[in-house]
Amino acid sequence: MGVSKEDVEGILTSAMKPTHLQVVDTSGGCGASFEIEIVSEQFEGKKLLERHRMVNAALAEQMKEIHALSIKKAVTPSKWNPIPKVQEE
Amino acid sequence: MARSLANTVLKGIIGSHHRAATCRTLCQQGTIAYYSVSSDAGTHDDFKSISKLADSDISLKDVVEKDVKENPVMIYMKGIPEAPACGFSSLAVRVLKAHGVPIASRNILEDQELKSGVKAFSHWPTFPQIFINGEFIGGSDIILNMHQSGELTEKLKGATTSNTVKRDD
Repeated sequence: MGVSKEDVEGILTSAMKPTHLQVVDTSGGCGASFEIEIVSEQFEGKKLLERHRMVNAALAEQMKEIHALSIKKAVTPSKWNPIPKVQEE
Repeated sequence: MARSLANTVLKGIIGSHHRAATCRTLCQQGTIAYYSVSSDAGTHDDFKSISKLADSDISLKDVVEKDVKENPVMIYMKGIPEAPACGFSSLAVRVLKAHGVPIASRNILEDQELKSGVKAFSHWPTFPQIFINGEFIGGSDIILNMHQSGELTEKLKGATTSNTVKRDD
């Protein structure tokens, strides 16, 4: 039995308490490939690699069946709706 | 195990540029005979027979450790840089190539034990996996993200000008 989009959403919701979560099933129905956007307070102070590791860890059990997991965004709420960036060089 | 390990090394690191230096270093270790690597080294019969590795105590962890230490930019991927066998590996290679750095690679599809060994080494579940200056960077999402943010350019500066090995402990 494959992993469903709902499974992934459920696990990430309880593990990461996201303020925004978007899981897209990119497998064409077989449930083995997902794209994720996740926004959570738990990412605060964590580097990009650590944030990805947190998502991977939450889905560790499912990863055995998931063929591809693409984490498009894993950010904190403050980074999610940023005030338009003013880049100062 | 030993035989498979030997294969791991013998299949060799496939660089998008000449990787003779890597081979020479392996050679100096007395583990395998010197060979030159062409872009299709991964499948060449010449690389399947010679081995003293079977008698050595080199472990997969050692193989990976050595790879990432000796190659400023090391990628474990599905397929080879010239012919990636997966969209994510392809993406990672394209990103790295855009920076014009020499890339060393191993094809994890050729070796299940190498695949497991790399996963255990980095504690990362998927491929590709990219190491810069011995530091585990992440997979294709992260490398793309760092490319877009400009962070990758900074990382790679060190990879081309310095042999300093940083550890991601």
